[in-house]
Amino acid sequence: MNDGWNIVVCVKQVPDADDVTIDPDTGTLNRSDAPAVLNKPDHNAVESALALRDAVGGTVTAVTMGPPPASAVLQAAVAAGADGGVLLTDRAFGGSDTWPTSLALARAAEELDADVVICGEESTDSSTGQVPPGIAAHNGWAQLTYTESLDPRPDEGVLVGTRDVEGGYERVATALPVVVAMVFGANDPRPAGLHRKIFAETEFEPVQWTAADLGIEDRVGLVNSPTKVGGMDTASPVERERTRVDSVEALYDHLAEVL
Amino acid sequence: MSAASGPGIDVADYRDVWVFVEQHEGEAAPVSWELLAKGRELADETGESLVALVVGDGVAHLAEEAVARGADRALLADDPVFEPYRADPYGEQFRALVEARKPSIVLIGGTHTGRDFAGRVAVPAHAGLTADCTELAVDEEGLLLASRPTFGGSAMATIKCPAHRPQMATVRAGVFDAGEPAEPTENAADAVESVEVVVAEEDTLSTVLERVVGGVVDITDADVIVAGGAGCEGDVTPLVELAEALGGEVAATRAAVEEGWVEPARQVGQTGKTVRPQLYIAAGISGAVQHLEGMNGSDVVVAVNTDPNAPIFEHADYGIVGDLHEVLPALTAMVREKQEVAA
Amino acid sequence: MSREATTAGGLQRPTLRTETPSYDDAFDAVVVGAGLAGTAAALTMARDGLDVLMLERGPAPGTKNVFGGVLYTPTIRELVDIDGAPLERYVAEKRFSILSSDGDETAISMRPGAWRDEPHNDSYTVLRRRFDEWFAKQAVEAGVTLVTETTVTGLLRDGGAVVGVTTDRPDGEIHAPVVVLAEGANSLVSEGAELKERPERDAVAVSVKEVFKLDRDTIDDRFRLDGDAGAAYQYFGEGAVGEAVGGGFVYTNKRSVSVGVVYRVEDAAAGQTPEATLDAFESHPAVAPLVRGGRRIEYSAHVVPEGGARAMPDLVHDGAVVVGDAAGLVLNSGVHLEGTNMAVESGYHAGKAIAAALADGRSDAEALAAYARDLDQSFVVENLRHYDWFQRTIAADRQFLFEDLPRALASAETEYFKMDRASKDEHTGAARDHLVAAAGGWFGAAKRAWRFRRMLS
Ligand SMILES: Cc1cc2nc3c(=O)[nH]c(=O)nc-3n(C[C@H](O)[C@H](O)[C@H](O)COP(=O)(O)OP(=O)(O)OC[C@H]3O[C@@H](n4cnc5c(N)ncnc54)[C@H](O)[C@@H]3O)c2cc1C
Ligand SMILES: Cc1cc2nc3c(=O)[nH]c(=O)nc-3n(C[C@H](O)[C@H](O)[C@H](O)COP(=O)(O)OP(=O)(O)OC[C@H]3O[C@@H](n4cnc5c(N)ncnc54)[C@H](O)[C@@H]3O)c2cc1C
Ligand SMILES: Nc1ncnc2c1ncn2[C@@H]1O[C@H](COP(=O)(O)O)[C@@H](O)[C@H]1O
Repeated sequence: MNDGWNIVVCVKQVPDADDVTIDPDTGTLNRSDAPAVLNKPDHNAVESALALRDAVGGTVTAVTMGPPPASAVLQAAVAAGADGGVLLTDRAFGGSDTWPTSLALARAAEELDADVVICGEESTDSSTGQVPPGIAAHNGWAQLTYTESLDPRPDEGVLVGTRDVEGGYERVATALPVVVAMVFGANDPRPAGLHRKIFAETEFEPVQWTAADLGIEDRVGLVNSPTKVGGMDTASPVERERTRVDSVEALYDHLAEVL
Repeated sequence: MSAASGPGIDVADYRDVWVFVEQHEGEAAPVSWELLAKGRELADETGESLVALVVGDGVAHLAEEAVARGADRALLADDPVFEPYRADPYGEQFRALVEARKPSIVLIGGTHTGRDFAGRVAVPAHAGLTADCTELAVDEEGLLLASRPTFGGSAMATIKCPAHRPQMATVRAGVFDAGEPAEPTENAADAVESVEVVVAEEDTLSTVLERVVGGVVDITDADVIVAGGAGCEGDVTPLVELAEALGGEVAATRAAVEEGWVEPARQVGQTGKTVRPQLYIAAGISGAVQHLEGMNGSDVVVAVNTDPNAPIFEHADYGIVGDLHEVLPALTAMVREKQEVAA
Repeated sequence: MSREATTAGGLQRPTLRTETPSYDDAFDAVVVGAGLAGTAAALTMARDGLDVLMLERGPAPGTKNVFGGVLYTPTIRELVDIDGAPLERYVAEKRFSILSSDGDETAISMRPGAWRDEPHNDSYTVLRRRFDEWFAKQAVEAGVTLVTETTVTGLLRDGGAVVGVTTDRPDGEIHAPVVVLAEGANSLVSEGAELKERPERDAVAVSVKEVFKLDRDTIDDRFRLDGDAGAAYQYFGEGAVGEAVGGGFVYTNKRSVSVGVVYRVEDAAAGQTPEATLDAFESHPAVAPLVRGGRRIEYSAHVVPEGGARAMPDLVHDGAVVVGDAAGLVLNSGVHLEGTNMAVESGYHAGKAIAAALADGRSDAEALAAYARDLDQSFVVENLRHYDWFQRTIAADRQFLFEDLPRALASAETEYFKMDRASKDEHTGAARDHLVAAAGGWFGAAKRAWRFRRMLS
C-alpha cells in the first residue's frame, strides 16, 4: 500500500557565497551587499526530493527556518517543483545554533508526517553539516549523510542511499523515516518551468509555524544553544610576499630557495 | 529525551578529554592519532586524563595503541554490531557512555564518518558541537576554545560552550601533527577498559549493503603540491609532470574535480582536504575563498594564472602571469635540468 | 492533486499544489528586459491597471548592464520618487578634453553654480547594478510581476501578429496580447523575429569600460569635489581612441571611477581592439593620474546604437512595440551621450499607448501607433534628428578632428604661452598660424566652423 511518500526538503537562505568577498587591502569580509539566496547545496537537496517523488509518488514540502524574507527560498523550491512550503518563523528562534535549529526542523518533519527528510550537505554560511544528523537524532530516525544517490524501495518501505566515504563509497539501506543529506553537486538541479516559477512568485504562500505551534518555545533560541561565538577575528589573512615575477627563471630561483 | 546536560547542569561534574578513535576494518584513520596528540596537550593543560574511545569489532589493538600513543585510558566497545560503521549504533553507544561518564571535552575527526555521527551524539547529550575546527585551546577556566575558519579563512570564529557539556569538536584531518607511531607497551592492556555494549542488532535502523574503499591517495602528507583548477582546461599533464619532478602530489580545485580531470580525493578546500605543504603551486586557480581555506596553511604559495587580476595573486608569495600550459612545462624542464646537473 | 490548507490537528497544514496553473493570457503585457526602458514601460502600465509580466535574463535587474554613466532623470522623476534612489553623485562638472597621442591635452571645463542646486540638472552618476534593481522594485511595488534568470528566446506568432514569447525555461512559452521589446542594444529577439533589421555597421559603436575602486577622499581630492558632487569628463582625439572615431570618458561614482571608450564598430573591425584602445586611453598622461592606485573591480564590453533617427526601426507592430536601445534611441553626438533619458521616455509613451489600446480591446499596430506618434513629438526623436548629420560629418573630418586639431591646439598653446624673449604679439601670431594651418587656411576654418556650429546648438 504505497500511495507515495511524504518528502520534506529543508532549504536555507544564506548570503550569496559568490558575492561574499574579501577586501585584499584590509583583509576584511565584505558580505554587506551579498544578496540572500538559496544555499547552493540545497539545490541538490531539492532535486533529489523531486526525483524521489518522480520515482515513488507522493509530495514534496519545502521547510525553512528563518525570518519572513526567508520564504524566498521556499518560493525557489516551489518554482522548481515542490508542492508546498512551511516557514518556521518566530522571534523565539533568534540566535539558534544547530541544536535548536535541528529540533525545529525535526518537529516540523514530524508534524508533516515525513517519510523522508532531505537536506543539503552543509550551509555555505555556517557550514557545519550538523543539522541533518541533528534532525535524525531529535526524532530517533535513521540518517544518510554525504549521499550521492538514492534508490527507493517503496514496497519494502526502505530507502537505499549511496554514501561517499573516505576512499570510496558504501550503500546503506535504511528504514523510514530517514533524514538524508545530499552531497553538494550530487545531481544537476532541474531549472524551474516558466509557469511554475510565476506561480511560485505570485500565488504560492507558505504556511507559517511558530515555536509555540511546534511546542518547543522553551527549547529554542540563543539560551538553548550550547555554543557561543566567543570571538571573531577578522583580518588574519596569511601574510604573503605577493611578489610578481616575470620569467620562469626568476620563479625557479625563488623555488630553489624553498626546496 | 535525555536530560544529561543543558542549562542547569553542574559543569563541574564533567571531567576528562576524550578522543574518538575512528577506524574502519581495524585500521585507524590518521586523524584519530592527530587528535590524540592534540588531546594530550589539552589534558595536560586542564590537568585531566586523556581517554581514547575505541568502538568497533575486534579492535582491542587500537585501544592499546592509543594508550601507547599517550592516552591515560582507553574505553573499548567491541562488538560485531559496530562493523562496519553505522550512525545509529555508534550514536547510541556514545550517548550512553557520555551520560554515564560525563567527559568535559570530546574530539572527533572531521571526516565524513566523524561528522556523520558527531551531530547525532551532540543532540541527545545537548552538547555544544563546533564543526571543522582548525585550532583548539583551553582558557584559564579550562573551557575549550574551538576555532574554525569562516568564509575561507578571512575570519576565524572562536566558539565556546560555557553552560553545556560535553564540549565537542570535529577537527579536520591534517591540521595537527600525529607524532611518532608507537608500539603498544606490555602493560598497555591494563589501561584498556571494556565497556558494556548497549545496542543490539535488532534495534538498528540501517544496514550496510556494500562498502567499497581502498587505494586512495593521501595528499595531506605531501611536502610539495601542484594544484590545478579550471584553467587546466582538461589537460592536467603539466601538473603531473611538475609534481613528479618535484616529488610532490597533484591536487585540484572543486571545479577541476567536478570536471572529472582529477579524482575527488585530491580536492583541496572547504569541502575537500586541508593541506599544509612546504610548497603549494596553484595553477589556473582563481583563488575562491572555499579553496583558499584548504591551502592557507602552506609555507610558500606560488600562483600561475593568465589573469593578472586573479585573486589568487593576493594569497601567493610568488606570482607569475602566464599560461600554465607553458609555464609549468618550462619549470619542469628547469627542475629536471638542475637535478641532472646535481646528479 | 491539490490539498487545501486546513487546521486539522491544531496546526495549519500547507497547501500542496502539484499541478501548475497556466498563465497564458493571464497578463496584459510581457516586457522583455528589465532595463530602464522595460521598467518604465512596465511601471506605466501597472499604474494604469494592467497586469504586467517583466522577464529579465540576469539574476537581478542591472546585473547584465554596462553603463558609463550619467543617468538623466527628467522623465524618471515624473514616474518615481528618486529621493530614495541609489544615486552616486550629481554631475557638478562637465569637462571636454582633446588628447593627442603625443601626450597633449586641451580641455574646457564647466561648473555652473546652478548644477549644485536641486535637481542638479537631472544628471547623476549611478551604478546600474544598484539603480536598475531599485527602479524595477518600484515597478514590482506597483504590481508588476518580475521574473529573473529567464531569457526570452523568441516571439510567438499568430499570423503576423506577436502573441507571446518563448523563453529558455522548460514549459517556457507564454501568451499575452502585447509584448514590449526592451532588450537593449544587443536586440537578438527583435532581430530574430524580424521586427528590426540587424543594424548597419556604421549605426553601432562598441564600448568597453572599467571601474576602479578608490576611496572617497582620493576621488574628492583628485577631481576637486565635495559632498555628493561628481565629475563627468569626456575625451576626444587620437589620444583617447587612437585611429578610431569616438571618444573616452571618466565618471566619478562615490567610491569608484568609471573609465571607458566608445568608438565605431567599423574601427574595431578594422583591427583596433577594445582592450588595446582602453589600455592606451588609461595610460595617457592626462588620464592615468586620475585612476592611479585604483583597484580594477569590473570590466565590461557592450554595444551602443548611434545610428540616430535614420536607423530607428519600426516602433510598433501587431502585438509588439520596441523601446529604448532596442529601438536605437541613443544620442551619441560627441558632446552628448544620452540613452537613459530616451529609454525611460520611450518606455513611458509605449506603456501609455498600450494601456489605451487594450482599454479598447485592441493590440494591433494601428492601435499602438500612438506610441510612435508621441515619441516622435517628444525630445527623443527631435534630438535624434537634430544630430543625425553629426556621425557623417565627423567621420568625414576624422583626420582634422582627431589628429590635426589636437596637435595644432597643443602647438598653439605651447606657442601662445611660450616663455622666451620674444614679444607676446609674435607668439600670438605664431599660435594662430598653427591653428589656421591645421584647419586648411582661413577659408577652410570658416567652412568648418559653419559646419560644426550645430554641434553646440
Ligand atoms: C559550499 C561550497 C563548497 C566549496 N568547496 C570547495 C572546495 O573544497 N574546494 C574548491 O576548490 N572549491 C570549492 N568550492 C568552489 C569554489 O567556490 C570555486 O568555484 C572553485 O574553487 C573555483 O575553482 P577554480 O579556481 O579552478 O576555477 P575558476 O574560478 O573558474 O578559475 C580558473 C582560473 O584559471 C585561470 N586560467 C584559465 N586558463 C588558464 C591558463 N591556460 N593558464 C593559467 N591560468 C588560467 C583563470 O584566469 C581563472 O583565474 C565550493 C563552493 C561552495 C559553494
Ligand atoms: C559604455 C556606455 C556608456 C553609456 N553612457 C551613457 C551615459 O553616460 N548617459 C546616458 O544617458 N546613456 C549612456 N549610455 C546608454 C544607456 O546605457 C542606454 O541607452 C540605456 O541603458 C538603454 O536602456 P534600455 O532599457 O533600452 O536597455 P538596457 O539598459 O540595455 O536593458 C536591457 C535589459 O534587457 C535584458 N535582456 C536583454 N535581452 C534579453 C532577453 N532575451 N530576455 C530577457 N532579458 C533580456 C538585459 O539583461 C537588460 O537588463 C551608455 C551606454 C554604454 C554602453
Ligand atoms: N535554518 C534552516 N532551515 C532549513 N534548513 C536548514 C536550516 N539550517 C540548515 N538546514 C539544512 O541543513 C543542511 C546543513 O546545514 P548546516 O548544518 O547548517 O551546515 C542545509 O543544507 C539545509 O538543508
